[in-house]
Amino acid sequence: MALPGGELASRPLYFFWICDCSGSMGGQKIQSLNTAIRESLPEMKQVADENPSASIYLRVIEFSSGARWKNVQPVPLEKFSWSDLSAESTTDMGKAFEMVAEQLKMPPMPERALPPVLVLVTDGQPTDDYKKGLKAINDLPWGKKSVRIAIAIGGDCDLDMLQEFIGNPEIKPLSANNPEALARYIKWASTAVVKDVSSPQSQPVSRRAAANVQIPQPPAQGTDPDVW
Amino acid sequence: MGQLLEKGHRLSTKCSSNTCEIIQFLGGGGQGEVYKAKLANREVAIKWYFPGYLEHDTDLRERIEKLIKSGAPNNRFLWPEDLVLSTEDDTSFGYVMELRERRFKSLTDLMKRKIEPELHVLTTVGFELAFNFLQLHTMGFCYRDISFGNVFFDPSNGEVRICDNDNVDVNGTDGAIEGTPRFMAPEIVRGEASATTSTDLFSLSVLLFYLFMSSHPLEGLHESSIHSFDLPAQKQLYGLRPVFIYDPEDTSNRPDPNVHRNAIDSWPIYPSFLRELFIRAFTEGLRNPDSRIRESEWRSAMARLRDCIYYCSNCGEENFCDFETKSSNAICWSCGKNTRTPMYLQLGRHQISITRDTKIFPHHADKDSLYDFSNPVAEVSRHPTDPDRWGIKNLTQIKWTASAAGGKTLEVEPGRSIGIVPGTVINFGKTDGEIKIQ
Repeated sequence: MALPGGELASRPLYFFWICDCSGSMGGQKIQSLNTAIRESLPEMKQVADENPSASIYLRVIEFSSGARWKNVQPVPLEKFSWSDLSAESTTDMGKAFEMVAEQLKMPPMPERALPPVLVLVTDGQPTDDYKKGLKAINDLPWGKKSVRIAIAIGGDCDLDMLQEFIGNPEIKPLSANNPEALARYIKWASTAVVKDVSSPQSQPVSRRAAANVQIPQPPAQGTDPDVW
Repeated sequence: MGQLLEKGHRLSTKCSSNTCEIIQFLGGGGQGEVYKAKLANREVAIKWYFPGYLEHDTDLRERIEKLIKSGAPNNRFLWPEDLVLSTEDDTSFGYVMELRERRFKSLTDLMKRKIEPELHVLTTVGFELAFNFLQLHTMGFCYRDISFGNVFFDPSNGEVRICDNDNVDVNGTDGAIEGTPRFMAPEIVRGEASATTSTDLFSLSVLLFYLFMSSHPLEGLHESSIHSFDLPAQKQLYGLRPVFIYDPEDTSNRPDPNVHRNAIDSWPIYPSFLRELFIRAFTEGLRNPDSRIRESEWRSAMARLRDCIYYCSNCGEENFCDFETKSSNAICWSCGKNTRTPMYLQLGRHQISITRDTKIFPHHADKDSLYDFSNPVAEVSRHPTDPDRWGIKNLTQIKWTASAAGGKTLEVEPGRSIGIVPGTVINFGKTDGEIKIQ
């Protein structure tokens, strides 16, 4: 026995992890990031399971000396597995932005989609010309529509630069001063933000929005001591 | 892993003063987390709120206490039974409810085709939704958030469970929740109204449309032409310029064959009376909250729809008979071949397809027992020695009288069957039913 039709039509949601793998990320930071993202995946998959209207695809780009895609093609979330990042060399964030911009063109982006989510995780300042790469993103229709989150690890980041990347004064860079805070922010970006971009949740009365995408409140950092 | 309560954490119930112990984390949402717990030898579910959410929803505790006091409309609602409090942490609280059994699956599972229930099960789900939300509204309550995530059903029989009842409040009071995108009434999307029983009716219509068509009633060409499906786009589609995909007057938003195949494939398989109800729900009902389809209308339509089911004479798949077209042939939606439409029983105003598993209930046979589907009064049965002969079996304790088309009068004792022959009129006690062909 069967039913007419098939699975509910869904829109793709492209989720980009843009990860700093420069030398200063070496040791505990990069391992904490690897663990935080691995830990966040089951809940991200649960969020996807509960939302029949979105199909989530993941992309991972790492930057240090230059930038490299960890997966050449977008991978459906249900087939995605994290391969650990390792740290070395400089912070060529601008190169990563340029390569992300290439992927936000149509094609390879489809004409119909949910706003892409770009999550930048970094512990330092770009050593190349980030403005050129950022402009390339901002000049594209999907770049303009993208929802951008920045997670700053430790206290050495240029928060103004991260705010420039986010491009929306209502969303602030998140400062993760310890591994627990990093894990909370990674989980928040991959679950709460994804939920809201694909909009399946109950909406509280106060959340009437004027923005393109309503971003939920990030979790509190807590009062844990800095252990980096 | 939950964030709020650890395994073994003990909470106390407010009214019954019992201790309950957290067993495991079940899931989290925007308001809090749900855990399995043990309460006096019984396994229950505990919803425990995020302290941050309580700052936003300041009336919550009072509302839940009101719900506990009033009690559930019936057992289909996983309703707050008692408050739970923690002696160690007074920043939050929770409530006890019955655990949802594993046999209940979500509508999301249906939309993703992880489950494929039979069509008669979907009609029962539709009936139960209409019947139970009517019960809730009859008590003066408004649900506020009818959507995929809050309704579960048993794919084997269509029985439903309605969850997340903590947003329920007396209709007309201010609530903390507006609804879920795609299910909210246009006036809420536009920011002109709050959730009421009238907006619940809109959300119920959307849910029923999803149930039968696996697509959204307002998502047609207007949706497929949107590049980035963000908040301004959604406001336009669901609030500022909503157009039903099968609006008879405005054809601008028909389903896009490249995207909305489900609507195109599903819409024609249903009888015209159901399609007309959906047209009313999403034309007049879009514009005028007072013109929305009432639950009593959906309830009646769902019972009627279930009576239309028959099996394709070629492939055996369930089809719906459109009694209004009175055609002896139809095209099966599944195999695409001509299929013979079934004989049917005209019983009062009910028209019931006669198939191998048809059952007649007091709902059909006694106008004073509408919606009584507890015990059948008759069922289709096979002759004990001749498998080609079928009859209608008397399951009541009283003798039926029947008259054949030729005028012969027959008596049908309890437990006996009368052969299915067009023109036969059976008196079921209070109502006459005639076997007809289309």
